[in-house]
Parts: sequence; structure tokens; C-alpha cells
Amino acid sequence: MKKFLKNIIIFFLLALIVGETVVRVTHTMSDIPQRVIDENGIQKYYPNQEGYWKGGDHKWGINKLGWPGELPNSYDNLIMIIGDSYIENFMNPNECHQSAFLKKNMKMYNFMEAGRSGVSLIEAMEISKNLDSLKPVKTLVYVNNNDFYESIRDIQPLQDITQVNLKNGTIAYGKMKAPLFKKILYNWKLLYYFYTRFPLNNQSENAEAPTVSEAIEENNDILKSKSEVFNLINYIKDNYSTKDKVFVFHPNSNTEIIEQCKNLGFNIIVLDSSKDDKKWVFDHDSHWTCYGHEQVAKQISNALLK
Amino acid sequence: MFFNSIEFFIFLPIVFALYWLIGGKNIKTQNLLVAAASYVFYGWWDWRFLSLILFSSLVDYSIGIALGKNEKPSTRKTLLWISICVNLGFLGFFKYYNFFVDSLINSFTFFGSEFSINTLNIILPVGISFYTFQTLSYTIDVYNRKLEPTKDFVGFMAFVSFFPQLVAGPIERATNLLPQFSVERKFDYRNAVDGLRQVLWGLFKKIVIADNCAKYANIIFNNHTEYNGSTLLLGAFFFAFQIYGDFSGYSDIAIGISRLFGFNLKRNFAFPYFSRDIAEFWRRWHISLSTWFRDYLYIPLGGSRGGTSMKVRNTFIIFIVSGFWHGANWTFVIWGALNALYFLPLLLANKNRVNTNLVAEGKYLPSIKELGQMGFTFLLTLIAWVFFRADNVTHAFSYLKGIFSGSLFSWVEIFPSTILGLVFFFIITEWLGRSGEYAIEKVDFINRPVRWGFYLLLIVLMFAFTGEEQQFIYFQF
Repeated sequence: MKKFLKNIIIFFLLALIVGETVVRVTHTMSDIPQRVIDENGIQKYYPNQEGYWKGGDHKWGINKLGWPGELPNSYDNLIMIIGDSYIENFMNPNECHQSAFLKKNMKMYNFMEAGRSGVSLIEAMEISKNLDSLKPVKTLVYVNNNDFYESIRDIQPLQDITQVNLKNGTIAYGKMKAPLFKKILYNWKLLYYFYTRFPLNNQSENAEAPTVSEAIEENNDILKSKSEVFNLINYIKDNYSTKDKVFVFHPNSNTEIIEQCKNLGFNIIVLDSSKDDKKWVFDHDSHWTCYGHEQVAKQISNALLK
Repeated sequence: MFFNSIEFFIFLPIVFALYWLIGGKNIKTQNLLVAAASYVFYGWWDWRFLSLILFSSLVDYSIGIALGKNEKPSTRKTLLWISICVNLGFLGFFKYYNFFVDSLINSFTFFGSEFSINTLNIILPVGISFYTFQTLSYTIDVYNRKLEPTKDFVGFMAFVSFFPQLVAGPIERATNLLPQFSVERKFDYRNAVDGLRQVLWGLFKKIVIADNCAKYANIIFNNHTEYNGSTLLLGAFFFAFQIYGDFSGYSDIAIGISRLFGFNLKRNFAFPYFSRDIAEFWRRWHISLSTWFRDYLYIPLGGSRGGTSMKVRNTFIIFIVSGFWHGANWTFVIWGALNALYFLPLLLANKNRVNTNLVAEGKYLPSIKELGQMGFTFLLTLIAWVFFRADNVTHAFSYLKGIFSGSLFSWVEIFPSTILGLVFFFIITEWLGRSGEYAIEKVDFINRPVRWGFYLLLIVLMFAFTGEEQQFIYFQF
């Protein structure tokens, strides 16, 4: 038995080393940048990181301000782009980012992105407040239905997402969720591979308790928690500078939310993918492909130039 | 709990450690641990169905005891029939109730009559076909006085629910497995290492071969009207390797894990795709089920002792029942019947036991004749697999019509060269290792650095070519 266990342990260690090497060389798992919470409570990335996206076809990079993508050459005539994983856009190379496509269409402007997966609408507004120091002429805030729901603590408290408590009007900044575990997981690629390949949580458990986003995704036509969502829009109107902000709504966003924003005087652009025969999103991922980003930028620049 | 899940990778070392460290040399403790671990393993999927296994164990254990005490033939026969009715009753209800109701309604509708019975929303308990046959083998063997009834209920529970083979076989005979629960089991280094090697090969078959082939088999079968004949043939080829990699992979893992615990299970696959005729194929494919049907159905029906008509009848019965065992769908019945049609000419010409030895024994390459025989047999199985994989009979015929169309000789529209390369590597490895119990058994004789390098290569291939995770196909049976 001792010999068996000894050999098993040696082989296991060897397999770990070989497995880790293979996963790293073949880029089986994406490199994940490390996050930090700044002095304003905003979760962003440690500056000047770079890594490979899954498969190793392209690299992502974090700029010196701690946001994904490249910084503009100048901050004059700046248009700020804020959003979640769609703007973070690790799955596409830099030339397929919103800033790159918008720059092509609107050469007289400079563009800067501030995107991070999981950003809620209220967090996007907090980010925009911080970035107003760069004096952008416009700020595009990319939103979908979930960004509204996930912003409201009264609907469902989410520890890792910045939310607003509408009852007392306070902002609850998101906290890092299991930072040590994530640090280990993202650096130990083989473990990360196993974690994603064989998730620990049972599927049936998930099925019984759909998340907020799943529940909302099921039916975009029905606006749940309407009063809270409308209160949130009012709260934003009252507490943030919205004059130069433009809400860019994802295709199929809830019409009641769009109408309410319009009625309260927000600048809005509603994206429409229904007339395009070609898909905007990946086959196994709801994020936009390079083509999708190009079409989005086209619709936005058309709307802005009008 | 699946063998290819992270839960199982945690579960197995814990059970292994408890079994050898706490169980030690005490058989009763070891049996209790095996039974408890098996119930946890099964309950992980759905604990409610543990009651079914427990009930089945209780019934067969009690009937076994009663058979041991009774000498009166009529009472013994009644006891046997109780066991058969209880076990097949559960199987019939959970697996075939809706099928029979649907078929009945369809028959009435076909003859222009109205008939209505509601189907039920029944969950099929995983592995019910396997453990039902295993417990039945116990009562039948005790009835036939081939086996003494056991008085150790915990050992019997462990035998019925033995977790490595509980949900997808091999279907163990009570005469082989049950006695192993009453003898002292000592840790054997060579046996354990051999077991782990077989587990590794089984995982490779499942994760790399079966799951990758499944991806293309699914694409082609699900969109068969869009592809030409050669691509449809390739789809059937992928399915052939999906089902072989999946099921024989599971059997290898089950046998390997059992060895870690000091048990020896029966071999379930013996390189069936190297068979030179269909009779040989059926001696090498799902051996535990084929021999079960041979011993408990074919022989009691008279086997091949009677005239030609009896041979034909019995052959059709076992193949059709075997097909039906796989699932409540006419596609499986046709699959069985088609195999019976393949088999009959050999049986009637008394050529069903011509190829009993290993193909090209002691040689690296087969002869042209052997190659032709293997190719032809494989082609026959491919056609049959179309029925096995198709959603319904119409789908199967439409698929076959697509294969045997003018476009059969045009170039394939899908050509995943990497996956085909992996299948080629797999076939070569199986060919070189065909004289062993499993393909890489003989690797043991190579020196350690090369041997370990080969194991690591398999692990690397598992990482690099992990297919979309698919449930083991035979779980549904």
C-alpha cells in the first residue's frame, strides 16, 4: 500500500506539472486580470496587465488607468464609453473594441473605454462621475435590462455588485467576492480548468433558483419590479449629471424602461439587430462578435452624428 | 454521480482510504462501507430511488433464503416468479409504461378506433435495467441450485448496489461477484496499478474519443437532410466510435475501480470492431448482457437444440428482447431484429463459431481477407447503429436513404481531421493491445519513464481534446 500511495503521489505531482504546462501553452483557459477596488469604491483592474484570451488567438490588455483597451492619444473632444463585459470585450482583439470602430466613424473625436464585467447601471454612473474629471463631451453608458435590476439592492442584494438602496438612497459598493480563492484559481490554470470543466454546483439546484438575470432574460416584454426600476431611473436623474450621458440600450431591451428614460429626458440610443441577417453574437456566448461590435458602433455613430 | 465528474474524483479517494484503512481486513466492515458508499453514489443522482434498490435487494434476499429452505418444486417456482414479477414489474413500469400506452393508442388509432389512457410523467431510475438483471441472476441461479443463498444481507446489498458497475454495468452474475463479498480481500499492488491503468484508458475513451465523436455525430444526425451520403456515413462512423468509447470506457472505469477495492468484474468488451463476422462481434460486444440473455433466455427457450425453426425463433427473440432492453422505442427493436438477420445465416450454416480466436494473432497486420471481413462486419454494424441512434424509425430510414444515395461517393462535407486523427490513434492502440484484457494492459511491461510518459500523454490528450461533456449513453438504459 505504501508503495502504491508513494507512486500515486509522485505521478499525481508530475501530472499536475505537465497538465499546468499544457493548459498554459495551449491557452486552454483565458488569462484573467486581477482586480482592485480604488479609493472611490470602484472595482477596476490593476494597471498595465496583459494576457491571452482562450485559445491564444489574441491578447487583452489593461491600460495604465486600470481599464481594458487602449487609451486615446488625446483627451480632447473625448467620448467616454462605459459598460459591462460587452465593453470590457476580452473575447475580441483591440481592433474590435467600440472605441476603435467609433474612432473610424467619428475621426474628430477621441474615445476611451471603462468596462468591467458585472458593472451595474448604478456602478456605471459612479464610474462616469469619477471619469468626469477628464471632461468628456459625451459619455455612452451601455445598458441592458439586468443592469437596472442588478442596481437595486431592494430587489436582490448582491455583495459583489455596486447597488443602490432606494429606501434610504445610499450606495452600497461592491466587494471582492472570494478574492483569495479567485487569485489561486486564476493563477493555477489547471485548477481553473477543472473548476470550469466540472462545476461544483449542481445543475438541479440552479434550476430551482434562477438568478435575477435569468428570470428577467426569460421575458423581456414583462417589466418586473416596475416601481423599483422607475425609482432607480428617478434616483439617477436626481443624483447624477445626466446632460451629457447617453444610454445605449442593447437590442431587445424592455420598452417600458426605454420609454421611462426617454420621458425623463435622458439621451438614449436603442440598438436594433433585428434587420440584420447576420448574428451579432458568438454561437456559445451572448457577447458581440467583431462584426456585432462594428454594427453597434455604426448605429451609435449614426445616431450621434445626427 | 458520474465517473467523469469532480465529485467522483473526491468521492473515490475518500472511499478508497476508508475501505483499506478502516475496513482493514474485516470483511463485514468493508462490505458495509461498499454498501454505504454505493448508496451515496446512487443517491447523489436522486436519493428517492434508493428505496427501489433497497426494496429489490430485500425481495431477492428473502426469496433466496426461502428458496434455500424449500424443496417443493411448485413453491420454488412460485418464489422464482415472485422475484421475476417484482423485478421486471419495476422495470416495466418505469421504463416501458408510456411506450406501451402510446403504442396501444397508436394501434387503436390505426384501426380507426378511439382509445385514451393517460401517459405518466415517469423518471427513469438510472441503471434500473442493469441492477434488475443482476439481482434476477441471483434468484435464478439459486433456483437452479447453481448458487447457495446468502445469509449476509449487507454483503447482498453491496452486491446489488456495488457502485462501480451499478448504473451501467457490466451486469455481474451472482455466481461471480457475490462470493467475492464473503472472502477476505487483500490489497494487491499489481492489481491496483492495473486497475488505475484501466481507469485511465476508460477515461481517455470517454473524454477524448466518445465526447468528441458525439459532437459530430449529433451535428450530422440532427441535420441529416443537409448532408450528402458520404457525410452521413461519416456521421454513422462517429456514432459507432461514440457509443463504443462511451460504453466500453465506462466498463473499463468500472472494472478498474473494482480492482482498486480487490474485486474482479467480468470483461464486457473485447475489441468488437476487430470482429470478422457478426457472431464474433456479439461475442465481443457488451459481453455481460449477451451472455445473460444466452443463459437466462436463449438456453431456457431451447437454444439451438431444436430444429431450424426453433433456432430462428430463439435467435429473433433474444435479439429483439436485447434491443428492447436498450430502450422503449421501435428503433431499438429494429436494431435488434436487424442484428438477428445478420446473425441467422451464420447460425443456419453452422458458421457462427468459426472466428473464435484472436484476429491476426501474433502478427502486426491482418491479412487482406481478415481486413475485408473486419471492414464488412464493421459496415454492417454501422447500418445497424443508425437505428440505434435515430430519434425514430422514419429518421433512421431517411438517414439510410441519404447514405445509399448517389452522393455516397462524393467528398465529405465535414472533415474534422483532428478528431479523425484521434480516432486513428485510438484504433492503432486498440489493435496493438488487442491480445490484452484492455488495450493498454501490456504497457506494464515497458520501462517506467516510457510507461509514465505514455500515461501523461493520455492525460495531456484529455486536457487538449476535451469534448463537450456528454452523459454516458448507457445511463438511459
